[in-house]
Amino acid sequence: MSPDIRDEAVEMWFGPQHVSAHGWAAKLTVVGDFIVECDPHAGYFHRSAEKVLEFRTFKQGPLVLERMCMLEAFLAEYPYISAVEQIAGVEVPERAKVLRTIMMEASRIHSLQFWWGQFSAELGLFAMTLWPWVDREFFLDTFEELTGSRHAVSFSTPGGVRYDFNEKVLKKLDRALQRLEQHLPKFKDMLLRSPTFRMRTKGIALFSYEDALRWGLSGPNIKACGVPMDLRKDWPDLNLAYDLVDWEVPVVDNPDHPGQSDAYDRMVQRFLEVETSINIIRQLLPQIPEGPIVDPKARAKTNRLPAGEAYGRVEGTRGVTTVWLKTTEKAQTPYRAKIRGPCFASYYSLKHLVPGSTFADFIVVFGSLDPYPGWWDR
Amino acid sequence: MGMIRVLGDIFRVLKHIVRQTFSRPFTYFYPFEDREYPERTRGRHIHIRENCTACGQCVRACPVVAIRIDKSDRKYEKDAALYFDYTRCIFCGLCVEACRFNALFHTPVVDLSEPSREALHYDPERIETLEREPLEWRGRRFR
Ligand code: SF4
Ligand code: SF4
Repeated sequence: MSPDIRDEAVEMWFGPQHVSAHGWAAKLTVVGDFIVECDPHAGYFHRSAEKVLEFRTFKQGPLVLERMCMLEAFLAEYPYISAVEQIAGVEVPERAKVLRTIMMEASRIHSLQFWWGQFSAELGLFAMTLWPWVDREFFLDTFEELTGSRHAVSFSTPGGVRYDFNEKVLKKLDRALQRLEQHLPKFKDMLLRSPTFRMRTKGIALFSYEDALRWGLSGPNIKACGVPMDLRKDWPDLNLAYDLVDWEVPVVDNPDHPGQSDAYDRMVQRFLEVETSINIIRQLLPQIPEGPIVDPKARAKTNRLPAGEAYGRVEGTRGVTTVWLKTTEKAQTPYRAKIRGPCFASYYSLKHLVPGSTFADFIVVFGSLDPYPGWWDR
Repeated sequence: MGMIRVLGDIFRVLKHIVRQTFSRPFTYFYPFEDREYPERTRGRHIHIRENCTACGQCVRACPVVAIRIDKSDRKYEKDAALYFDYTRCIFCGLCVEACRFNALFHTPVVDLSEPSREALHYDPERIETLEREPLEWRGRRFR
């Protein structure tokens, strides 16, 4: 910044009370209508989850993880469970694998539906906020029927899952999927062909694959650059059932700017993600095998773990979510658990993406990366 | 042609109005009526003291130390009194899962609002009974 611009610059805070900032805050340096510097601050949501995990047994640990991101609770709790199962060296029953995978994909859909609504609200398209949220209710009803809770589901447990599918759950899940399949083309039409939406998102927050790698972005943000980077395919998990399904990693490759993605591409990417998830669930539903949902021997093995280290990971809605777990011999609680949320990277990439954009576009840049505050303040 | 299209539009609008007027409202007249909760709803607990063996597994399973056990308080042969602190409970269901003697269950009662924090500390007597009657409103019966 040259000295004469600095004279004109005004420093201002975006958040934490701003309605679009759901508790986070970024310091912006503004010259006229343009932002020249953005300094995102983390820490407003800090709950010392990693320390809390050190005092919780391996069965209680997932409860902390799922509270990191309530929107994708089925996905959020999984990396910890995966790490515990890796250290104990257990494999869960087939039925549990399939049920886990189905619910994780349902959770992904639910989270993305929430994001469509939220992002549209930030752009001022309120019809598109409320319509997907009506469909989202049906997924929440399914979660409630299955686990007894709408958000804090605590579904998976080391060694299997805690709740079994029954007729009612299957019926509700089917209804939720049917409703979404019916409405998805309408939502796509409403957003992607809306002139307002196109004007506000085309060419905004453009970055290339190399940039994304350098900043540590993952998930839909990097797939929108045309690179099929997905943990579900690249690093398959033993205790999930993605190998039973025939599916492709969805990628958007926009001919206008190959290898790069803007806010519009990321929206298209998230529509594709939902379609893929529906496809995966639809293929898995007839394949649910009979049998137990939890292996009591495996579960007993996870009461006390041997010394070891493991890296549990899952392809979350917002990107790669991992937990690194270290245990000591015969430990009932972890020695150290390190959570890697996908959103810390996307939040701090605002530092590079925002300068140069107008103040009105700031929230579009932020929203297009789909960060969730719970993931960057552990 | 224009005339027909306008008539079609009017018909569509009327159809919507009629449908919205006669369809059931999405909202409930809370607290006089409530929606139906699924069977597995993790609401407040109920403790069945006849079955309890004072094993203390529920206390050990709880991640937030919401349960206190008093083994000297006996009503039956070998039961114990449980004190629940609903300012702490996160309704995770681990205590219910840990109880192997069918002595602890969740109920679909989820609205626990009280005028003070102290009222959320449930004593053994309160946790053994369900004080709420099923509610009735306009002939519809819920919960
Ligand atoms: S539901 Fe969970 S938090 Fe509540 S008392 Fe039982 S174990 Fe503790
Ligand atoms: S309620 Fe169940 S787990 Fe708790 S002390 Fe009684 S028998 Fe044991």
